Amino acid sequence: MSPFELSEPQTLQDAVAMLDASDTGIRPIAGGTAVMLMMKTGIFQPDRLISLRGIESRYSEVSVDDAGDLHIGAMTPLRRLEKSEEAAQAAPVIRRALRRLSNVRVRNVATLGGHLAHGDPHLDLPPVLIALGARALIVGASGERVIEIEDLFRGYLETALAPDELIAEVVVPAQGTRRATYMKHTTRSADDWPALGIAVSLELNGDEVGSARVAIGAATDTPRRLKSVEAALAGKALADETMQAAGDAAAAEAEVHSDARGSAAYKRELIRVFTRRAVRQIMEMGTGGAV
Amino acid sequence: MGGQKKTIGFTLNGRRVAADIGVHQNLTEVLQEEFGLFGARESCGQGLCGCCTVLVNGIAVTSCLSLAAFADGADITTIEGIADGETLSAEQDAFIETGALQCGYCTPGFILMTKQLLDENPDPDDDAIMHYLSGNLCRCGAYPEILKAVKLAAQKRKAG
Repeated sequence: MSPFELSEPQTLQDAVAMLDASDTGIRPIAGGTAVMLMMKTGIFQPDRLISLRGIESRYSEVSVDDAGDLHIGAMTPLRRLEKSEEAAQAAPVIRRALRRLSNVRVRNVATLGGHLAHGDPHLDLPPVLIALGARALIVGASGERVIEIEDLFRGYLETALAPDELIAEVVVPAQGTRRATYMKHTTRSADDWPALGIAVSLELNGDEVGSARVAIGAATDTPRRLKSVEAALAGKALADETMQAAGDAAAAEAEVHSDARGSAAYKRELIRVFTRRAVRQIMEMGTGGAV
Repeated sequence: MGGQKKTIGFTLNGRRVAADIGVHQNLTEVLQEEFGLFGARESCGQGLCGCCTVLVNGIAVTSCLSLAAFADGADITTIEGIADGETLSAEQDAFIETGALQCGYCTPGFILMTKQLLDENPDPDDDAIMHYLSGNLCRCGAYPEILKAVKLAAQKRKAG
């Protein structure tokens, strides 16, 4: 790797102060699993990295507040999130999705904040967090702001974060009786990056869908909601025709791109099939509380 | 080479050590170049194969994707550090007894991940083993023997 300089601030505020809105050669590093890959291949050659590893430990914690909202510090390693009982209670889909995200060693090190700020459309948690209606607390030189995860992604490896902003925390709102699932289809090994990732969250009223949130990753240029699918599900009976219509709507709405894991045409079929399967899976979870 | 230097101090296989490194160097490089430890070796370079596995503060990491600068103050264990003198660890013994290797290039990573797995789950079934070791690749294809080795290591650890 090309040489660079390294700063190791002890607070989030100091880290933000070391970033520079006008200098993209200065970048943060958290777990570093993605940044190291980019540096090794020479795609990314920073002048200076700002390590976030020394910042306050509260940014590595997972907790649930009185309202039932799940707070995940941005520096929380994915493996800690996977093992968190608080997270498993609040939104079990997160743990299930994490089991097939890369491997144990990468999850030991990679952080949730880095996972999101990387902006790669192939990652697993963006669609999950979008379907759960999660938001991010962002800290920058000019103060704090909150952004919905669905508004975070702007393009391939591009996010709404300014170069001098950092994700401090992710908040997953209390899910109540909503149930969610994440389906990942890989065309290589089971824990590879997906050819398609799809997350569906449904509020059920008996045998009818109250409201739906649907998001996909890996097939489009950014992780994104599929609002036509949500509309096709809302207020409908949980029947085969509903699932069929949802699948067709998903295949029609998504602007699909080819990549090394599948052609656009193949991925469009995957979207049709996996939308159907995801809705069916939630239906088959039964009524045993929030899942 | 150039670039910023840093002096790091850490515990390596139970011994306090220090090294002057470039902040852009990865941990695999530093273990090899500064300490002559070649058990962790870079193979895929992408975190997929597990050949460069080391334990940092008791947690398995991909050392070729870790900046050596982050090892400052840490407790690092490599494959060279898990035997007790001439007495091999339960995991090492189990891999030898089951013949769970051919060329041996991936074996240090498999053994360290096995140790970590058994620390978390003393009695894993085949699914748990395959899930946990999915990030370790054996190009000789010794996977059936590796499954046996992990289960034998679990028995050996229980027998103490």
